[in-house]
Formats: sequence, structure tokens, C-alpha cells
Amino acid sequence: MESLSALALAVASAALGMWAMVVRRNLVWKLLGLNVASGGGILFLVALSHRTGARPPIVGLGPGPAADALPQALVLTAIVIHFATLALALALVIVLTEHRHTQDSRKLEER
Amino acid sequence: MSAALVGVLAYFALGMLGLVLARGRETAVVALVSGTISLALWAPAFPEGFVGDWPWGIAVAGDGWSLGIWGLALFLHATVLLHAWSRDSLGHSLITLLVGTCLAGSISRDLFNLYVVLEFSSLLSVILVAKEGRSAALWAALRYLILAGVGMTLYLFGLGLIYGRTGALAVSALARGGVFDTAVRVGAGLLLAGAAVKTGVFLLGLWLPQAHGQAPTEVSVLLSGLVVKLGVLTLARLAEAFPVGPALLSLGVISGVGGMLYALRETDLKILLGHSTVSQLGFMLLGLGLGAEFGALIYAVAHGLGKGLLFLSAGEAVERRGTRTISELAKGVPWPAVLGLALGAWALVGLPPLAGFTAKACLGANQPLWAKAFLLLLGVGTAAYLARLLPLFRGGTGDGRLGGVLLLSSGILALGVWGFVGNRDLYAWPVWIEAPLTAGAGFLVDLFLRTKSWPLPKLSLEYALLATLLVAVALSASFLVL
Repeated sequence: MESLSALALAVASAALGMWAMVVRRNLVWKLLGLNVASGGGILFLVALSHRTGARPPIVGLGPGPAADALPQALVLTAIVIHFATLALALALVIVLTEHRHTQDSRKLEER
Repeated sequence: MSAALVGVLAYFALGMLGLVLARGRETAVVALVSGTISLALWAPAFPEGFVGDWPWGIAVAGDGWSLGIWGLALFLHATVLLHAWSRDSLGHSLITLLVGTCLAGSISRDLFNLYVVLEFSSLLSVILVAKEGRSAALWAALRYLILAGVGMTLYLFGLGLIYGRTGALAVSALARGGVFDTAVRVGAGLLLAGAAVKTGVFLLGLWLPQAHGQAPTEVSVLLSGLVVKLGVLTLARLAEAFPVGPALLSLGVISGVGGMLYALRETDLKILLGHSTVSQLGFMLLGLGLGAEFGALIYAVAHGLGKGLLFLSAGEAVERRGTRTISELAKGVPWPAVLGLALGAWALVGLPPLAGFTAKACLGANQPLWAKAFLLLLGVGTAAYLARLLPLFRGGTGDGRLGGVLLLSSGILALGVWGFVGNRDLYAWPVWIEAPLTAGAGFLVDLFLRTKSWPLPKLSLEYALLATLLVAVALSASFLVL
């Protein structure tokens, strides 16, 4: 049951993030939206590895069923990639603001 | 298998070494040599194996696609090194890493590994596009990064659905499993949408024309020639794992027509070539959707060489003349650039004996009549928007660098001639009549359209995001219903 609500939360945060990306004109808001959406993707993968009554997948933690370790390994990689993307995007926003003196996507679009 | 892996690792290690030592050119040459040796050792194929222990190892294999992409990557890297030797060392290191990423992606047969490769390639591409710090290029790079981020989030969700339902991420295991129920259908739709965003398919990946057009010359060559083909390769792997042929077919139609409409109206030379890449993706996706995988592969390699040559010459002309619009450039283009543009257009239109002719004959062979008719329509469109380059051929002025143009032209000629040796379809007489007729029809269409104008919506970031999300939802929904 917890797993189901986590999955719903993941989809909801992805939808919320994408919504913010489409309707907000400020670039920093757009990037926040992207980060919330990709956070939803990460939560989705983590929630999938959940098994009822399972312990964390750590060797030597004791008997009984363990959660699926593979999605958690994938998530580690995905988090690093999202961090790199956000850092690069913010750096681009800083340089762009210095050039054009605006963070409004509609003003940046016209030249 | 180990030969290919060593080649990929050498590329990554030498790219990093070039960054650390600030000696990008020298390490790029060493990487190119080691990559070529590695290709010679594993070619033409190697069987599927695992990096790491079962069940968590990453599946790798060398097949036709790997061979094609490796050949294209090494050839384009050599061209870029030759043409842009005097450029900064940082750029050469990043280009080495980018080429290494494409080499890695082409042997990978694991969906998550492909996700990592795609993300890494977009990060490197964005840095390379924005490298020179022009504000138009910065904005194009940021648009690319944001749209690729959305696409890759969709891909991650699709990946989760597929893994949660089937417990597998390797392409061969998914193809063997053959499960295609609700969860897998939605997942496949999201994976397809995510990979299409990264490829630059029309409506899904509207970042492509701006990013490819605003990038520095040597980066445009690599982005349009090679990095786009990484996306096509991912779509080919997805087509292998899931029955998604009809969806690829419709994406191909949309991309072919959409890119063509914008290319016919564009006045900026490099952005026109970017729209043309979107349109040419239509050919490859149609090939994949129709099951003509070999034709799609040959087309991808031929387009990589042809569009690489066009971008190389266009970039040279734009840099020498300091202007980007076709009408301004028509006042005088360096003659090596004229030669390159003419040969590239010749190849892309598909006139014999260059690479485009071979590719179009391979793609069109044994297809149903409606598919042949549509390919012909796209061919006429290609000729029509390339006919807009004709004013540039009025006569060259000044001097320019010839090296890269000659190397790429010889590659295009070699691929064209190879087709005559290996392929019986090329000797059928209808193909020979079709090619010049297509080019002539395209020229007439261009003459006719010069006086007409039609409104096209501006591809702003908000529209692009909305289109991406809507098409992704539509793709998943269509898999559920059909």
C-alpha cells in the first residue's frame, strides 16, 4: 500500500514539475520544475523496488526478503546525472542573464 | 568484445587526460588511432556478452549498427580534427569524450546504459554548443538542455514501468520475453517518446534546428552527423525489443513533413540545414518502422557524411563572411565551401554515384507502393529546399580550408561506390530514372514556392515543451488502445 501511494506521489510530482515548466516564464522556475519532475522519476524507481515486509538490500543485515537492489543502483546514477544537468543549466542561465539582462523565456525567444 | 571495450575506455581516458593536461589535440589523435585499431580488431561483429556478473551485467554486442556508427564516428572525428586543428584544446577534449560516448552507446544493448549514454551525450553537446558564448548559441543550448531533460524524465518513467513488469532491461531479454501488456505498453510509449526527444524528431524534439544551427562549425558537424544517429540507434534498439513499428512509422511521417515545411521557409543557412536534419530523420524512422533496418542504417551513415559535409562548408562560409542568411552569403562564398555545399547537396538529394543514391535505393527496395510514394515525396521536398542553396554556387571568392571537405567528399564517394559492388538493387533501371526526376521536380517546386508564403508557428520553448508532453501522452495512449 505504501508502495502504491509512493508511485502516485511520483507521478503527481512529475506532472506538477512539467506543468510548472510549461506555464512559468522565468527560467529558474522552469529549472525548478524540471528538478521536481526528475525527482518524481527517481521516486518512481525507488518505489518500484519496495517489497512488503522487506529489509534494505544490504549484505549481512539479517534473514528475510530484501528489497530489489537494482532500481536503487540505477537511481544513484540518475541522481548524479540530474545534479550535473541542473548545475550546467544554472551556469547557462547565469551567463545568459549577463548577456541579455532577463530570465523571461518569452523575451529571450525574440531577438 | 574486449577489443571494443578497450577502444571505448581509451576514448574516455584520453578525453579526460586531454582535459587535465590541457592537451586536447594530441590526446584526440591518440584516441582516434586506438579507436581505429580497436574497430579493426572486433569488426565486423562480436557476439553478445556481459560487462559485470549475471544477472546485473550490462549486455554489449557488436552488430551492423555498431559497425556503422563506429565507422561514421571515427571518420567524422578525423575530419573535425583535420578541419579544426587550430581550435582550442578544451573543445578537442570534449569532442573526444563525445565521440567516445557515441562509440559506447553503439555497442550497448541495455536500456539503462543507453539512458546514461544519451544523458552524457546531451551534457557534452550542450557545453560544446555554448562554448563560444554567443547569446543566441547560449539560448539554443539551454533550450536543448531543458527539452532533453524532459525527454529523459519520460524515458526514466518508461524504464521503471518496463523493469517493474518484466524484471529485465537488456534488449535481447525483453525481445525474448515478449510481454506486451498494459504496463509494458505505456512504458514502451514513454521510452519511445523520450528517445525521440533526444533524437530531435519533429514535435517532440524542437530543440534540434536552433542548437545545430547556432553551434560552432565543427560541433554542428558532429551533432548532425553523429549524435543524432545515437538517438536513431536507440530507437532501433527499442524497435527490436518491442513491437513499435507503426508508431515509428507515424513519427517518421510527421518528422519528414514537418522538417521539410520549415526548411522551405528558413532564410538562415545553418538553421535551414538543421530543419533539413529533422526532415531526413523521417527517412530513417520510416525505414525502421517498415522493418528495413539495413536501409535505415545505410541511410543514417550516408546522411551523417552528407550533412557533415554540408555543415562543414556552411560553417566555413558563415565564419569567413560573418553573415548567416542565404541572400547575404550569395554575394560570395569561399570556393572550397562552394564545392562542399554542392557535393553535399548532390549526395543528400540522392543523385548517383554518391552515398545518398545508394542509401535511397537500399531504403526503397521491396517496399509497398504507398511507402515508395511517400519516400519520393520526401525526396522531392529535399531537392526543393536544397535548391534554395543554388544562389550560393554562383562563383567562389577568396580562399578557404579544403582538407575536411576533401576527406568527407571521398567518404561520400566511397560509400556510393561500395553500394554498386555489394548491392543488386542499384542496377534496376527505375532507380536511375527516379533520381534525376526527383531532383528536377524539387527544383520546379522550389521555383513555384518562391512566390508563395504560408504562416508557420514560431517554435518557442513553451510550444516545444507542450508539444513534447502531448505527443508523449498520445504515443502511450495509442499503444494502449491499438
